[in-house]
Amino acid sequence: MDHTIIRTENLVKTYRRYKKKEGLRGSVSSLWKRDYEEKTAVNQVNLSVEKGEFIGLIGPNGAGKTTLIKMLTGIIAPTEGKIDVLGYYPNALKNAFKKQFAVVMGQKSQLFFELTVNDTLRLFKEIYEISEEDFQKNKNYFVELFGVRELMDVQVRTLSLGERMKMELIVALLHNPKILFLDEPTIGLDAVASKQIRNFLKEINREKGTTILLTSHYMEDIKALCKRTVVMTHGAKIYDGRTEELFEKYQKNKKITVSFDEPVKCIALKTFDAALMENSPYKKVYEVSRQSAKDLLTELMEFGTKDIAIEEEEIGVIVERIYQEGSDCHE
Amino acid sequence: MSKYLEISKIYMKTQLVWRADVIFNMIFTITKILFAYLLWGMVFQNTERIGQFTFHGMLSYYIMHSFLSQLEMSEGISGEIHDRIRNGTFSKYMVIPVGIEKYFIAMELGIVLFYIVFDFIAAVIWFFVFQIPIPFAAEGFMIICGAVMTVLGMLFMVQLNYFLGLLTLKYQGIGTFLMIKNNLAALVMGSIIPLSLFPEVIVKMMQLLPFYYVTYLPAMLLIGMCKEEAITGLIVITCWCLIMQLIISMVWKKYIRKYDGVGI
Repeated sequence: MDHTIIRTENLVKTYRRYKKKEGLRGSVSSLWKRDYEEKTAVNQVNLSVEKGEFIGLIGPNGAGKTTLIKMLTGIIAPTEGKIDVLGYYPNALKNAFKKQFAVVMGQKSQLFFELTVNDTLRLFKEIYEISEEDFQKNKNYFVELFGVRELMDVQVRTLSLGERMKMELIVALLHNPKILFLDEPTIGLDAVASKQIRNFLKEINREKGTTILLTSHYMEDIKALCKRTVVMTHGAKIYDGRTEELFEKYQKNKKITVSFDEPVKCIALKTFDAALMENSPYKKVYEVSRQSAKDLLTELMEFGTKDIAIEEEEIGVIVERIYQEGSDCHE
Repeated sequence: MSKYLEISKIYMKTQLVWRADVIFNMIFTITKILFAYLLWGMVFQNTERIGQFTFHGMLSYYIMHSFLSQLEMSEGISGEIHDRIRNGTFSKYMVIPVGIEKYFIAMELGIVLFYIVFDFIAAVIWFFVFQIPIPFAAEGFMIICGAVMTVLGMLFMVQLNYFLGLLTLKYQGIGTFLMIKNNLAALVMGSIIPLSLFPEVIVKMMQLLPFYYVTYLPAMLLIGMCKEEAITGLIVITCWCLIMQLIISMVWKKYIRKYDGVGI
């Protein structure tokens, strides 16, 4: 039985954009003569997603992730190629299609800021034609899961960013969508709120079987949630496979930041592949291979460290590495 | 249908959030009435009639017209659509299972209902306080025609502003279109003086435009005047609504593909 709910073939999106010469002269001359250029935001993307999957979509800024999400949700029409989501051509914008998915964009809200979340939920109950029984059941489930019962009757504008994102998710999930598209849901959130959101998403994917497509710049999001990751750059898909494998193969280094109580001038390290990136008497930043990270930490502990922070490599570095190693699309 | 009712309700609730706005809106209803009373009181000091209007007739027209004009707030729709297309948040409406135009009609209805209720309460209080005698239409036929025409006129204005907002998909700025619409509407809606005081040939020309039927003719019908224009007026404004709907569908189909949602 075919469980594919999203399928794209050679999907292309090209934007036409206006180019203006610098300065006032350029602005005046643009009044009668305009130059345009074509920008391919998504280039020949083939994607197949099965029911219940939790997929991470990563890539640097301008990689085409958001454009892909916009095409999958019908917000924009593709320039070329085939697209099928839940058996529909998304840009036809059929209500029957829109009832089956939800989209949460980190910086675009569905909430009414002057009103309470309960008011917005009541509106969405009607919009999605949810029965009173299902409405109460779903609302209670999510309110308990997110622990926001005391916030349901306060004005949305008074909520913190983290609380608001929880509310956005409740509104989006109220109608039990088959697919949830998430575009940067943890953007701007602190570590605690991000972790909470990640836990909720994991729970929803497991309990409700909701297929989730997540774009994020944060490696922690992808690592913690997605079994499968798609990497994009310059509009093309350059990796599509297991997240574990992606990080094992391409995330080679870790960044370790150490701060000291007493000034430390120079440290002669035994760990041979640690590179000193930043050096000051009270703080040192190293880049070290994942294999040697433990050794480096053990060594650094001997110098009376005050604090240690370990960070993963940024998406941009991984994308660059995939490129360098000539790893094309491996599906 | 219930989803659009809920949309109306939520926008009505939004209007009720700011208590000071509600109170001041009710208080300021009087300023227009007082202004009309003083202005036309002075004009009618030396004369019994101007055109077909007595002092109380003119006052009634002015108050009724002000009330209807106050309800015509659809300009916000073109602004909202324009801003949302420009900053990419128009997608908010595209991803939920509603007809976007119907959403805006319901939104407008919610806002208008709020003003109908509160302005009506305020107007009744002020009429009572100042003991202003207002001659309303005595015939049910004219009241019904006036009310139906008001609804159709408001619908047309929502459609027009929705259409102008959608033009952002094609043109980056719609300021010029809005300016033309506003100037034309201000003149033809009879906001400044009753159109019946214009030369007949000008009025005939204005009768071809939809704006004539948005506030001017409904106001006249509701104060018991222009009975002979009631049926033709209803036909003309209905035709304009149908034409505008056709234009909206064509513009939507043609230009929605141009929407890029801002950002890659």
